Amino acid sequence: MNEFNPSAGSSQMTDDTFRLLRDFIYEHSGIYFSDTKKAQLENRLVLRLRANNLSDYDKYYYMLKYDPQASRELRALFDSVTTNETSFFRSPPQIQAFQEKALPELMTNRENMGEKTLRLWSAGCSTGDEPYTMAIIVKELLQEKLSDWDVKIFASDISEKALRSARAAAYNEYTLRAVPPEIKKKYFISNGSQYNITDEIRMLVELQYLNFNDDKRVRLMRGFDAIFCRNVLIYFDDAAKKRFVSQLYDSLNPGGYLFIGHSESLHNISRAFKLVHFPGALGYKKE
Amino acid sequence: MDSQVFDAIRNIDDLPTLPSVAMEVLTLSRSPEVSINKISECIHKDPPLAAKVLRMANSSFYRRGSNEVDTLHRAILMMGLNEIINITTSVSVLSILPPKGSRGETIRKAFWNHCIATGLIARHIDRKLSMRSMGREFVAGLLHDIGKIILDEYFHKEYMEAHAFSIDVDCAMHEAETEVLGTTHMEIGHFLAQKWGLPEYIADVNLHHHNPDESKFKDITALISISDLLAKAKEFSFGGDRLSFVLSDQPAWHILKQMGYPVHLLDLERFTFEIEDIGEEVNRYITAVSEPGIQENVHERI
Repeated sequence: MNEFNPSAGSSQMTDDTFRLLRDFIYEHSGIYFSDTKKAQLENRLVLRLRANNLSDYDKYYYMLKYDPQASRELRALFDSVTTNETSFFRSPPQIQAFQEKALPELMTNRENMGEKTLRLWSAGCSTGDEPYTMAIIVKELLQEKLSDWDVKIFASDISEKALRSARAAAYNEYTLRAVPPEIKKKYFISNGSQYNITDEIRMLVELQYLNFNDDKRVRLMRGFDAIFCRNVLIYFDDAAKKRFVSQLYDSLNPGGYLFIGHSESLHNISRAFKLVHFPGALGYKKE
Repeated sequence: MDSQVFDAIRNIDDLPTLPSVAMEVLTLSRSPEVSINKISECIHKDPPLAAKVLRMANSSFYRRGSNEVDTLHRAILMMGLNEIINITTSVSVLSILPPKGSRGETIRKAFWNHCIATGLIARHIDRKLSMRSMGREFVAGLLHDIGKIILDEYFHKEYMEAHAFSIDVDCAMHEAETEVLGTTHMEIGHFLAQKWGLPEYIADVNLHHHNPDESKFKDITALISISDLLAKAKEFSFGGDRLSFVLSDQPAWHILKQMGYPVHLLDLERFTFEIEDIGEEVNRYITAVSEPGIQENVHERI
């Protein structure tokens, strides 16, 4: 009797229900919706209400909380609460924290050790926007000194399709909307409606297929100075999350940084890192 | 302190002063004889002040329940003596150090936004850790940087130099102040708080919020120290204070821990996300203090 109910999803989310859903989502995914993001959450969940043929958000919450079948819904829920889009220079405060604080610190430490090597990992790189952004930032920081350095940015994903796009490294205007104009001019070549990344940036990035459940392969990822693993952890259950985060910890050099999604938290997952407050963003440091 | 700037400020004749009744209220609040009637009578000696306090108590920021409180006496009964003294303190200081500044600079606005954000964050942490500071944490946060306003007001050119220095060198404002002015906003703020007869904890928070270990009021100073950092992390900052820090490594954090406050139970990530909305709360407070009457009789000299 699962007839589509045209009024489903049209009811308003009350403040109380918002808080219940927000806490549920935080507890299960580590993603937090602050009070001002109520409308955003409401919009994202409208489709979940429709898909489950539910008339209001209360019923959706009770289904998540008490229906034994709800674990199936979780995946769909997390998919809808994370923006499944990716773009260059996404989440500016995080990018700035990396650019202005973490990266200069990492480079100074390396230089003091007399080793001009830098290893970065974009874990869950999707179509390549993130690793190429990282490469541009490194190039911007080092400028012509880049040739003195041994820089490698590993970029991994489980989707072959995403990796193919990343290899093609051709992007549309929309994906580049957050890119400052002077950066766009320097590192992108306009090709009709598409933009191609310049070779000097592409050369810094090494794309590869990697399944995070493949412990053996993941264990080979070692010696990184910084890892970006944004909005990936939500796809794991708690045990898998803990295991993977502890592997990420092992993958970092002492002093290295892990960045997860802008509103993601490791609070219930790992206490191994030091939580660092950057202006407008959080990072996790391995000491 | 051997600083020309500090000496000059000490010797300024027309340095703003707190309304005399406000100073009387503060003195009375410290006396063992304090009572609801006495405080209420005392505030009434300055009708504009009484009106401001009452309006503030009824503002969206402080008001509890739906009924308007029509007398000070009733406001004290509803909110408690402490909160009325807190309101008297903040309203009095805000009336002589107006958020707009004499030049109406946006930097003054940024400065006050930082102070309000610090007070609000302190209020949230106070609740999370059950510190029971009874509203003093908000006033202490709001007024922890009063030295900066005076420096900006009387040594604007030099203060902007310090500001530029902190951005260039990427250092904290107080380090830049020492370099450029030979004094800090902590020393100036401490001097002012004492001169105005503000509660001792406010003077102490002014002096020690960057080194809470030396404070006589360790818990509230540590609380403000942490709130100050978090306000800056939320980019409610003034000057080049674009810092990165590990909260659990801060002296203030250790103080709170040693004093038995359950800091280890705090979900810091979640708390950081929660205060993402602090800007809205800051605006609510600004709206409250800007409601007609509260900002009237603004001191002309500053």
